[in-house]
Amino acid sequence: MELFVSILALGSIYALLAGGIVIVYKASRVVNFAHGELAIVGAYVFHSAGFLTGATLTGPSLLVTIAISAAGSTLFGVVIYLSLMRRLLGRPTFVAAMVTIGLAIILKAGIVVIWQSRSVGIAIGRQPLYSFAGGGRIAWIDLVSIVACVLMFAALAVFFQYTPLGRQFRGAAENPLLAAQRQVNVNLILALAWVLAVFSATLAGVLFGSRSMLSPQSTIIGLSGLTAALVGGLDSLRGAALGGFLVAAATYLTARLISPTLAETVPFLILLVVMTWRPWGLFGTLEELNRV
Amino acid sequence: MSGPMAMDQVPLLDVRQLEVVYHEVSTAVQGVSIEVAPGSIVAMIGTNGAGKTTTLRAVSGFLPAEDVAVTNGTISFGGQPLRGLLPHQISRLGVVLVPEREKLFQTLTVKENLEFSLTRKRRPIRDAVYDYFPKLAERHGQIAGYLSGGEKQMLAIGMALVCEPKLLLVDELSLGLAPIVTNEIITILQTINHSLGLAMLIVEQNAAAALRVASFGYVLEGGRVVFKGEAEKLLKHQDMREFYLGDHDANSYRNIRQYTRKRRWWG
Amino acid sequence: MRTQSPYLLVSYAETNRVLPNPYQRVMVSVIVAAIVCIPFVAGGYFLHLMNLCSIAVIGAVGINLLTGYCGQLSLGQASFLAIGAFTTAILAQRFGLPFFVAIPASCCAGAMVGFLVGLPALRFRGIYLAITTLAMHYAIIYVLTDYQAVVGPSASAGITVPAPSLGGFTLNSERGWFYALLIVAVLVVMFGINLSRTYIGRAWIAIRDRDIAAEASGINVPYYKLLAFTISAALAALAGSLGAYFTTVVTVEEYTLELAIVYLAMIIVGGMGSITGAVLGAIFITLLPFGVERLFEVLPWQLGTTAFGIEQAAIGAAIIGFLLFEPDGLIEVYRRIATYFERWPFRYRELKGGSGR
Repeated sequence: MELFVSILALGSIYALLAGGIVIVYKASRVVNFAHGELAIVGAYVFHSAGFLTGATLTGPSLLVTIAISAAGSTLFGVVIYLSLMRRLLGRPTFVAAMVTIGLAIILKAGIVVIWQSRSVGIAIGRQPLYSFAGGGRIAWIDLVSIVACVLMFAALAVFFQYTPLGRQFRGAAENPLLAAQRQVNVNLILALAWVLAVFSATLAGVLFGSRSMLSPQSTIIGLSGLTAALVGGLDSLRGAALGGFLVAAATYLTARLISPTLAETVPFLILLVVMTWRPWGLFGTLEELNRV
Repeated sequence: MSGPMAMDQVPLLDVRQLEVVYHEVSTAVQGVSIEVAPGSIVAMIGTNGAGKTTTLRAVSGFLPAEDVAVTNGTISFGGQPLRGLLPHQISRLGVVLVPEREKLFQTLTVKENLEFSLTRKRRPIRDAVYDYFPKLAERHGQIAGYLSGGEKQMLAIGMALVCEPKLLLVDELSLGLAPIVTNEIITILQTINHSLGLAMLIVEQNAAAALRVASFGYVLEGGRVVFKGEAEKLLKHQDMREFYLGDHDANSYRNIRQYTRKRRWWG
Repeated sequence: MRTQSPYLLVSYAETNRVLPNPYQRVMVSVIVAAIVCIPFVAGGYFLHLMNLCSIAVIGAVGINLLTGYCGQLSLGQASFLAIGAFTTAILAQRFGLPFFVAIPASCCAGAMVGFLVGLPALRFRGIYLAITTLAMHYAIIYVLTDYQAVVGPSASAGITVPAPSLGGFTLNSERGWFYALLIVAVLVVMFGINLSRTYIGRAWIAIRDRDIAAEASGINVPYYKLLAFTISAALAALAGSLGAYFTTVVTVEEYTLELAIVYLAMIIVGGMGSITGAVLGAIFITLLPFGVERLFEVLPWQLGTTAFGIEQAAIGAAIIGFLLFEPDGLIEVYRRIATYFERWPFRYRELKGGSGR
C-alpha cells in the first residue's frame, strides 16, 4: 500500500511536468526542453521566498510564500512568451525548440549563479501522515502531491472543455490563423499556455523539493517529464497524466526491486522503447508525427 | 467605365492600386482597385492564379507569414486604413474572411465552432444562423470534421456571421461543391444580404453563380483588373460569355475550326 | 584567345577549384602563412586556446555535415565524442597501441556507432529525431559510465592516456600540438568543403530542404541519411580521440548533453550549412567562456565560484541571441559585409512596404 501511494505521489509530479509540456506543445507545436529547469527554478524561488518570510509548516507566512511563488511564476511565463517565444512565430518549430534549449542552459546557469549550487530542501510536509505496521510511512507531502495533481488536471479539463476561453484555446491550437480571423487574440492564448506551463512546473518543482534535495542537477527531472509526455502523446493531457504515472511506476519499482542506479536510466529506456514502438504515444494523434 | 456606386456614396471598402509581391520577386497582384458599396454584393471573377485570393487575403490582413508583402496601394474600410493592422484587429473592425481552405475547426463540434466568437450580444445572430442553415441545427453536436462539404461551407459562413461582420469576404465558395449545393448556399447568401444589409465581396471561379447574386463584378487576370461593370453588363459581354460563362454563339468560328480568340475586353 | 575572367572557365580543372580567383588564393595563402607563424609570437596560453579551437573545429564540421547539410537535428554529438575518446583510451592505455592505430580505430568505432544511431533515426524528422538521438546518447553514456566505474582506478578518475609518440618523438608541447592539430583541422575542413560540393553534399541539401521531394527525385534517402550519421560520428570520434590525447585523461562526466548542445551552438552561431561557418562558430563558442572571464576581470564585479555558471549562461544567451536575431549565423554577417563592398556604390534595397509585420 505504501508502495502504491509513493508511486502515486511521484507520478503526480511527473504528470504535472508532462502536463505543462503538453499544454505548450498543443498550443504552439513547440517542445519545451526547459521544463525541468523551470520547475527547479520555481522550487528554488519558493525556498528563498519561504526563507525570507520565515515560513513554517502552517501559518500565514506559508500562504504568502505560496502567493509569491504563484505570482512570480505567472509573471515569468508572460515574460518568457513576450521576450522569446513571440518572436519565433512563423519560424519552424524546431527553431523554437532550440531556443528553449538555450533557455534551459541559462536557467540552469542561473541556479548556479544565484544559489551557488547549494543543495536545499523545502521543509514542508515531511511529517508523517500515517504509519503502517510493516514500517512504511506516508508523509503529508505525498497526499498533497496527489491532491494537487488531481485538482490541477481537473481544473484544466473543465477549463478546456467547458469555458469559452478554453474553447478558443483548443481552436487556436488547431488552427491559429483561423482563430485570429475569428477575432481571437492568438498572442493571448499562447501567453496563457506559457503561464499555465510555468505555473504547473513551479508546482511540480515545489512538490519535488519537498521530498528530495534540490540541486542544479535536479533539472534532470525534465527528462522524466518529457518521457512521460511522449509516452502519453505530446498533444494529450490525458496521456500526460497516464504517462506520468507509468514513468513513475517504472522508475520507482526499478529502484526498489532491481537497483537504484539502473533506475536513473529508466526514463531514457522508456524513451527508446516509445520511439521505436509507438512514437506518437498512447493518446497522441498520428498526424502530429509528420507535422514536426 | 463606371464604378459601382453613385458619385455621392462613399464606398465601404476602398482598395486602390494594390500591389502584392511574393518572395520579393513575383508580383501576384498589380494595380488592383476595387470598391464595395455598402449593402451590395460584389463579385471578383477569374481563373486560378489570377490574384483573387491574394487580394482578399491582403484586405483581411492574412497574408501567409513567409515572405509576402503588400508593396503598394491603400486599403481603407469605412475610411479606416487597414494596412499595417494585425489580423484580429481587422476582424474586429468588421471585415471577416471565410477562407478557401481550413475554414473551420475540425476537432470542435458544430456548436463549439459557431460559439467560438460568441458574446452575449451576439446570441441572436447565432440563433439566426441556425435559421438560415437548418442543416447545422440538425447536426449541432457533431464534430465538424465529419460534416459534408456543403455543410462545412455553411458552418464556415455561419461562424463568420457570428463575428458581426460589416463586410463579408468569401473566398471560393463553390470549390469542391456540387452545383446544386453551390446554388443553395449562394441563394442563402443573397437572402442574408437582403435581410441584414450585409455587404459582401465574393471571389469565385464559377462566374455564372456569382453573377447571379452580385450587383457588380470585377474580372481579374494575371493580377490585374481587366474588366469591371454591373452584373448585367458582364453577363452580356462577349469575352465574358465565351471564356467565363461557357456560352458562345452557334455561329461562332469555334464550331468550324480550332482557334483561340484573343481576349480584348472591349465591347 | 583566353581571358582572365573569373566567370569564363575553360577547363574542368578550373571549375573544380575551391578558390577560383587569384584574389582568394592570395588571401588564403596570407592567412595560412600568418597562422603558421603564430607559435613563434604567441605564448603557451594562446596556443592552448588555439588547440582547443582546432579540436572543436573538427567536431563542428562533423555535426555541420549532419545537421547543417543533411538537416538531421542530432543531440547525440557528445556520445560520439565519448566513443572516440574511450576507444582511444582503451587502445592506447590497455593495449599500448600507437596513435596511428588508435586514432583510425576510434574513427571506425565512431562510424559504427553513428550508423547504429542513424538506423532508428531514419523514421523521424525534426523534434522526434532529436529526441531519439537524445535517448541513444543516454544509452551510450550509461554504458561508458559502467565501463569507467569498472575499469578506471576509481569511479570518476577516468582513464589516463599516454601522449602519442612515434619513434623517439613524443607530442607533448603546445607548439607541437598546434601544428599537428592545425594540419588535421585543415584536412578535415578541406574534406568537408569537398564533400559538400559533390553529389553527396547535394543529396544532403535536397534531403534537408524537402526529403519527400528528394526521394521522389530518385535520391536514396535512407542511404544518404545513414551516410551523414556515419561520417559525422566518425569526425566527432576523431575530435574526441584527439581530445583524449591532448588532455591525457578521459572521464565520462565531461561528455554531457550540454556538450552536445555546445556543438549545436557552434553551428547555430556560425551558420548551418556552411563549412566556413562551422569553423567560425567553433572558434567563437570555444573562446566565449574565456572572453567572458576576461570581461569580468575588467569589470568591478568578482566572479568567484559562479564563473562557470556565467560562462554557461553566455553560451545559452549566444544560442538564443543568434536564433532570434541572426539565424543564418556569423557567415551571413560576413556575407552581408562582403556583399556591401562588392556592390558598392550600388546598394541592394529591400522592397518597400510590408503588411505591418
